[in-house]
Amino acid sequence: MFAAALVALAIPPLLNAITPEGHFLHVSAFTLSLYGKYLCYSVLALGINLLWGYTGLLSLGQCLFFALGGYALGMHLMLLIGKLGQYKAEIPDFMVFLEFPARFPTTGGLPPHWIPFRSFAFASAAVIWVPGLVALVFGWLAFRSRIKGVYFSILSQALTYAATLMFFRNDFTFGGNNGLTDFKVILGHDINTPATRRALYLASAGLLTLTYLFCRWLSRTKFGLVQRAIRDSENRVLFSGYATSHFKLFVFVVAAVIAGLGGALFVPQVGIINPSEMAPEKSLEAVVWCAVGGRASLVGPILGAIGVNALKSYATHAFAEQWPYLLGSLFVFVTLFMPKGLVGLPDQFRALQRKWRKGVSNP
Amino acid sequence: MAFLPSITKELRPGPVKDWSPALAAILLLVLCLVQAAAAATTPAPSSARSTLARVIFSPDISEQATLLRGLIGSTDPGVEAVLTAWRGGSLFVHDNPDGSQTAFLLDPTTDGDGHAQGLSILDDQPIPGPDAKPLLFSPSELTPADTTAKLRKAIKNTLDFMALGNPDPRFRKDAVVKLGQERNLEYLPLFEARAREEKDPEVSRRLAEALALTRTASPDPAVRVPALRTLGELRSVTSLSFLQSFEKKLRDGPTPPNDESLLAVHKTVLDIETYQQRGNLIGTAFRGFSLAAVLLVAALGLAITFGLMGIINMAHGELMMVGAYTTYVVQNLVRSAFGPSGLPLETYFLVALASSFVVTAAVGLILEQGIIRFLYRRPLESMLATWGVSLLLQQVFRHVFGAANVQVGSPSWLSGSLVIQDVLFAYNRIFVIFFAALIVLGTWSLLTRTSVGLQIRAVMQNRAMASTLGVRTDRVNMLTFAYGSGLAGMAGACLSQIGNVGPGLGQNYIIDCFMIVVLGGIGNIFGTVTASLGVGVTDQILQPWLGAVMGKITVLATIILFLQWRPAGLFVTRSRSLEG
Amino acid sequence: MTQARKQFILALEAVTKSFDGFKAIHDLTFYMDEGELRVVIGPNGAGKSTMLDLITGRTRPDRGRIEFGRDIDLTRLNEWQINRLGIGRKFQTPSVYTDHTVFENIWLSLEGARGILDCLFARVDSAQKDRIHDLLSTVGLQERAATKAGSLSHGQKQWLEIGMLLAQNPKLLLVDEPAAGMTDEETHKTGELLLSLAGKHSILVIEHDMTFVRQIARQVTVLHQGSVLCEGTVDEVQADEKVIEVYLGRGKRHPPTTNEP
Repeated sequence: MFAAALVALAIPPLLNAITPEGHFLHVSAFTLSLYGKYLCYSVLALGINLLWGYTGLLSLGQCLFFALGGYALGMHLMLLIGKLGQYKAEIPDFMVFLEFPARFPTTGGLPPHWIPFRSFAFASAAVIWVPGLVALVFGWLAFRSRIKGVYFSILSQALTYAATLMFFRNDFTFGGNNGLTDFKVILGHDINTPATRRALYLASAGLLTLTYLFCRWLSRTKFGLVQRAIRDSENRVLFSGYATSHFKLFVFVVAAVIAGLGGALFVPQVGIINPSEMAPEKSLEAVVWCAVGGRASLVGPILGAIGVNALKSYATHAFAEQWPYLLGSLFVFVTLFMPKGLVGLPDQFRALQRKWRKGVSNP
Repeated sequence: MAFLPSITKELRPGPVKDWSPALAAILLLVLCLVQAAAAATTPAPSSARSTLARVIFSPDISEQATLLRGLIGSTDPGVEAVLTAWRGGSLFVHDNPDGSQTAFLLDPTTDGDGHAQGLSILDDQPIPGPDAKPLLFSPSELTPADTTAKLRKAIKNTLDFMALGNPDPRFRKDAVVKLGQERNLEYLPLFEARAREEKDPEVSRRLAEALALTRTASPDPAVRVPALRTLGELRSVTSLSFLQSFEKKLRDGPTPPNDESLLAVHKTVLDIETYQQRGNLIGTAFRGFSLAAVLLVAALGLAITFGLMGIINMAHGELMMVGAYTTYVVQNLVRSAFGPSGLPLETYFLVALASSFVVTAAVGLILEQGIIRFLYRRPLESMLATWGVSLLLQQVFRHVFGAANVQVGSPSWLSGSLVIQDVLFAYNRIFVIFFAALIVLGTWSLLTRTSVGLQIRAVMQNRAMASTLGVRTDRVNMLTFAYGSGLAGMAGACLSQIGNVGPGLGQNYIIDCFMIVVLGGIGNIFGTVTASLGVGVTDQILQPWLGAVMGKITVLATIILFLQWRPAGLFVTRSRSLEG
Repeated sequence: MTQARKQFILALEAVTKSFDGFKAIHDLTFYMDEGELRVVIGPNGAGKSTMLDLITGRTRPDRGRIEFGRDIDLTRLNEWQINRLGIGRKFQTPSVYTDHTVFENIWLSLEGARGILDCLFARVDSAQKDRIHDLLSTVGLQERAATKAGSLSHGQKQWLEIGMLLAQNPKLLLVDEPAAGMTDEETHKTGELLLSLAGKHSILVIEHDMTFVRQIARQVTVLHQGSVLCEGTVDEVQADEKVIEVYLGRGKRHPPTTNEP
């Protein structure tokens, strides 16, 4: 099963490489990046599932961490544009446009905290520690004061809302509402060639596989047992001598790092990162991918993320006006009728069948 | 002699003319003419109109200025219209076949090709062509009558003086303020005359201010110093910037530190600044309270449903939107039934408030019965489901009413502001504050004074116990949810009087509402009230320093930190049940 | 008193706790000897569960001292820290991990390291396996080791929770109404189990069922309105005027007779 999934993951880049353009089996670089985007979303969904499905913590701010990871790598990519930009300046275009040279004269217009992002290694590390740190601080505050349930959800939503407002500001030095875009190169390769696209896709597939394996491993350890025990009866765990707040904080930080990694690979494939990517509604949407696929299962979130996003890509082209209806109904339908998501459907059918048989045998 | 010294000074080279005392007499005469003409209400069009024509065609700018002066007495509204048009560049000149010229304005009604008749300024009649039919002009082909900056200023000045005689006190007030700012001693007799006639208290106050301000230009300290003091007594905020620069000029100059003018102006500036700061403080407090009231009205329904059922209704904002659109629909219905003005439109808002409560309560009822009651044991999932509902509602309204904002008018008693000591209190915001108080009182009485309220509180405190004691908890849930939704609807109706009404209306307030509920604690109205006040006032205090966005972020951060200290919010009804 | 205090495992002195003005615990002073089996009874609202909450760190007292063993101040510690000292608590309503198997339930409760890293790399070794199976046979659930706890009967869940408590090997067991929802036979077995544990462990039991109290109790403490009304043997307590007044004076609720179900 797992091997089959791996093979399926490898097919699109293979088709892109070996079939000529126009061939009926050809997968264009654009489509490949679209699939790559789904894979990054799947990584995000696995992180959400780790929190919600396994620990019972519904964070409505996971896209903040996704976007933070994206921004961290995006900053590096922005600096790589160099003189290839519109203004032919050393610094990113938006900095010229917003007159940063006057604001930061000593660095030629580059805000000081941008400077280390020239290094790919630093940016990659930031993809991990920036979301991790934000999650650590927020989680520490939240869990030590025993904030849980809907309170936690609402506060995480407020966090991502506040961050969105912040990033929308031009003087926050991250490009305001346009965000970071127009990337040209990554690691010395033109970002738009099919070969780079294939590499990025494969990196996403690799990340997804690793994340999946990590989650699978985690769920089978004693830690995984504690995690689910917290979800089902936190007080019992607490009165059994486990520092539940530490466990929750650990999971929260891990989920944030996972989201950040997903976001980092999302950015070069989609070509833009802006504050709307961390808006509260994005995080809610991501939670619904999990719900649709089936939370508290390892495959469910991946199925949900790919399924819902494929549907969205199709729907926003075919009937854009109706997409919000579809999405809204999905939220309602899944929570009411598919509490275990797609993965839980067979069980639900079996239960129905049993009920029906009973009904037939004793009328 | 000239009536408009500042202009003529510039126009006429040579020594500045000594303004004879006759000037004042003439001004008075002019003023009397204005009054007399206004009293008689018989316009004297021909003379004024022909003077007007002479002004327009005079080649000599000083003559123009003199003639303009003569127009001040005219009560013919046409004169003002022509002068305004001239200054704005929409007065045109037609060359008649006989070599004479006619100044004209374009008729605002145009034909299919965009051509319009030219209405002569002499008689407002169309200019006839050779065939005696009205001539048609194309606006794009016309060039406006010549003006210079100086001339335009003279016209403006004339218009201001004309406005002094305007029957509408608002125009008089504006004119007085503007003329006062010029600090022209020549205007003094005019102000004095006007002050004797003036009945409107606000205009009288402005006249006193203008008089004092003008007198500060006097070279005679015996006039200047009392005038400076008067400005302080009048708390003249409008003259503050002048006074500040005046004080600076005196200090920078060779004035001795104990100069009477300097002392007077110093005290006056201090007085006015203190007064202004107090005004700002009151203004901030008022804005804070009104924001708090808006948030309170919006959050109260949410707090009730959350307190009772432990679920957060993410569609609460959209219920507010439903209320706002209900107001819009009621307004349109009233308009189409009773016409665009009159008593029905003045009172429609009260009907709309009631309707929005009913409509939204109905929507809430359907929501509770259709979705939420299946999710009571799953609060996290109920958030998702209600979020889905909010998406659906938004899209429905976008479909029906369009994505753009709709126009909801305010009845006249809700528009405008009450001005007390230079602080503005907008009527709509005053209304919201009172309304919020009313809703809180109503809800509080409902909860504490009625049997339904007793049942609601019983369910809030111990659902299982209440259920075994015969409280129909499902019915209580349903009614409470409907009530909370109805409150959201009324909140939406209120918001339609304050901000824009569009499909995204709810989203602007929802996160603030959530924060207030979290901050206020579960199941306590006074917690919600306190939290609203805290958030609203803090927001308004922070905004001038940090800007709207950073202010909001600071409030959010403060709330998160506050919860470290009191994790369950400000007030919490402690339950003694074990699995809390 | 100070000399005798050395052997106390638990000491509450002048403890007061109020909720919104309601004094759930009022000036409560209570001592327990090491190895003692003590039963606390009292009408509803007497503050029995709040007392356990205070001991286990679920709530903090407004005033007073709570000490465990030799001078460990419990009022400064939180739930998991208190548990790690060796104080185990069984809740009134059975609280087990419904999604986990019976075996996993016990494994999670087994005494030992409880840090994040420990949990990430922990394995069940054979000694632990034996211990778990011993515990399961003690509580009569060895046949159900692989069953999900959620599908056990109410009584079995109670037993499982007792097993989880034993797995922690606590010095002090706090047991809140263990007999609730059990059959007479199960109740009797529970009583025997508790009696067999006494001596090795100190046990504090809160109970309503007087048959059960009579079976296990040597020393009974009666709580009323948040403080101790009287202490003594079952017979002494049942004959006490004040106790009868408290139970009967409140109407028909729970007079402490042995006939009560």
